[in-house]
Amino acid sequence: MAIRLTPTELTDQERALQAEVRAFCDEFLPRGSFEPGLGMSSGPSKELSRELGKRGWLGMALPTRYGGSDRSTVDRLVVVEELLRRGAPLEQHWTADRQSGIVINRFGTEEQKQRFLPDIAAGELCFCIGMSEPDSGSDLASVKTRATPTDGGWLLNGTKIWTSNAHFADWMICLCRTADADTPHQGLSQLLVDMHADGISINPIPLLDGTADFSEVVFNDVFVADDLLLGEPGNGWQQVTSELSFERAGPERWITPIIIVENFLREYADHLSEAALDFLGHTIARWWGLRQISLAAARMIDEGKAPALQAAMGKDMGTEFEQEVIAELQQLVDIEPSLTSDSQFSRLLARAVLVAPSWAIRGGTNEILKGIIAKGLR
Amino acid sequence: MSEQDLLFETADRLFGDVATFDEVQAAQQRGWSEATWSAADELGLTRIGVSEAAGGMGGSIADVVALLMAAGYHAAPIPLAESTLLAGWLAQAPGIVLPEGPLSVIPNKANDTLRLENGTLHGSAHRVPWGRNVSLILGLVDGHIVGVNPHDARITEDVNVAGEPRDDLDFEGATPVFCVAATPAQTLERFALMGALSRSALMAGALLRVVDATAQYTQERKQFGKPVGSFQAVQIHLVRCAEQAALVDLAVQVAAREADRGPASFEIAAVKTLANDAARTASRAAHQAHGAMGMTQEYVLHQYSRRLWAWRGEYGDASWRSQLGRGVATLGPDHHFHVIADGSASGIAL
Ligand SMILES: Cc1cc2nc3c(=O)[nH]c(=O)nc-3n(C[C@H](O)[C@H](O)[C@H](O)COP(=O)(O)OP(=O)(O)OC[C@H]3O[C@@H](n4cnc5c(N)ncnc54)[C@H](O)[C@@H]3O)c2cc1C
Repeated sequence: MAIRLTPTELTDQERALQAEVRAFCDEFLPRGSFEPGLGMSSGPSKELSRELGKRGWLGMALPTRYGGSDRSTVDRLVVVEELLRRGAPLEQHWTADRQSGIVINRFGTEEQKQRFLPDIAAGELCFCIGMSEPDSGSDLASVKTRATPTDGGWLLNGTKIWTSNAHFADWMICLCRTADADTPHQGLSQLLVDMHADGISINPIPLLDGTADFSEVVFNDVFVADDLLLGEPGNGWQQVTSELSFERAGPERWITPIIIVENFLREYADHLSEAALDFLGHTIARWWGLRQISLAAARMIDEGKAPALQAAMGKDMGTEFEQEVIAELQQLVDIEPSLTSDSQFSRLLARAVLVAPSWAIRGGTNEILKGIIAKGLR
Repeated sequence: MSEQDLLFETADRLFGDVATFDEVQAAQQRGWSEATWSAADELGLTRIGVSEAAGGMGGSIADVVALLMAAGYHAAPIPLAESTLLAGWLAQAPGIVLPEGPLSVIPNKANDTLRLENGTLHGSAHRVPWGRNVSLILGLVDGHIVGVNPHDARITEDVNVAGEPRDDLDFEGATPVFCVAATPAQTLERFALMGALSRSALMAGALLRVVDATAQYTQERKQFGKPVGSFQAVQIHLVRCAEQAALVDLAVQVAAREADRGPASFEIAAVKTLANDAARTASRAAHQAHGAMGMTQEYVLHQYSRRLWAWRGEYGDASWRSQLGRGVATLGPDHHFHVIADGSASGIAL
């Protein structure tokens, strides 16, 4: 059976929030005051994260007693799409806000919630995701990083790779093997790992655009105390799959090139060809449609449903579309984009050309997503 | 369950019973399916979206769109979009009461030469859906809503690529059944939007059917000892269909909701653009997944893929893209995102 979504729209309260966020961004992040980044890879700004935390715009879905604001997935969508479309530097809080806080709130102990959630909601804590390993990418259940029991906790050994923002993160939620088991999906657990602990080395890996947004993280007998095990021992696979489905529904999967198209409009306004108008029209229609999917999936989450298939479709379509936009734009302008150009449009386009392939890889490749969707269509 | 969901279910059941594969096949020869029309008419479905004053059942645009999605899902071979949404829109001009029976509308092709001279109709109207089958044809001509009997025209029969009647009508001084001044809101541009919305709704339904047919076929068809749907390359085709269908399905419902509140020109232009894309990519993927079986009229896929190809060309293909692009360019970069987030409310003009 076909997979469907129910149309929804912002309520008056959600629109009021949107207006507030727009006003904040106009004031705090005026155009020209910072070099915009592309989507999730926009660099960290503690200052921005704290400002957002002060306004209650981080950890929005977390309960108020842990510093959250008991708000909804749609509220968070309204906030993050305003930040993302401006290329705001949000990497400090991004992972914690999007998934780590939610996972801790769902699976963590009372003590863990009190310890981590208020700081996440305040924008003080940066988290990273320790899932991928050199020999475990799409086949995530094959991870070899292992935690062995020791006095009062665990000793962690192994290597994580492609870990975004590891070099400035405070904590990692690390998927590792805590027991041998008959099937690879058993015997996995999630540990909260202090990134400043002894025995951790972080080796930045250069990304195609020359930045070092991700790293290799090596654990050498890293001690992790018992009270930092997240959830049930051996339940790591269930926890990690639920975490991945939160990760997929968001606007970061279709919004990334908006800032480039806006710069195109700014710099080429006086000589827009018929081909350019066709591109702009085709693109705005696709953007509007994809946003409807994001919004409808977010509303489903708020209604207690689990739109895993819908979110996977949104991510697959959205990231494919993002890459098409870059390719179409490049064909249209017929320039040599450069990271050092005087033109912000050219700089952003160059960066996008270099990093666009990653959009359809991180968070589960589009092939893996299509496999999940195909199963759901049976 | 919303009113629209209920209406969709009712129509889905009805069309599922009468507009069977064989009936749709037969309609290709006969031009249309009288059985389908009568069954829909009996339930009052053929006048949803037509005001009670004009002789209809009333109902919102969202209602009609739900109905048309069900019709698209079953390839219902009747002028339903014309008799409901489009005739209903034209019949908003005061004083019009629609007769019983199937209706059609003049789609306003670029090469039309229709005009009013001293109250009589002259010139030609092209590609009028089911022109030969209907009791009355409505059109917006020279600022007037006219209703004319097709027997008063010379009819040149033709069909679209799906085999649905699309007839050319030539008038030499025909006297309309009625001719009243259009309201200020009844412009050719707005009519084209309604046409595009009607086709998008039919296309959304057809796309959902393409997904179901492809899912079923790829599970039943075995090669190399297993269902072809177990091959990843084939799954990718299936997923592409499902994604395109989900996108257009959702978008057309949003557009309908907005069209009940205002002109919704942005949303309608956007959804027709998305439906046109889907007609290409989903049909191609579905056919690839079906192999040769998809290429015969003896199997169901063509009843939907051909309609998608036909409807893509009706009421605007790439022209919507340039119109949207012009709107975006005029509004400028500072409001670009507002169009995506707020649609027509962003102030984009088409
Ligand atoms: C910019 C960036 C940031 C990242 N950040 C993080 C992070 O913070 N934390 C983290 O843990 N990971 C991170 N990743 C890693 C990311 O999650 C993995 O790249 C991803 O899961 C795919 O794994 P892989 O790269 O090993 O590819 P592989 O799994 O080796 O895949 C190679 C190719 O084979 C295909 N393939 C593999 N298996 C199948 C299958 N069963 N069916 C069909 N096709 C298949 C894949 O789709 C792909 O095309 C990041 C990656 C990037 C690019």
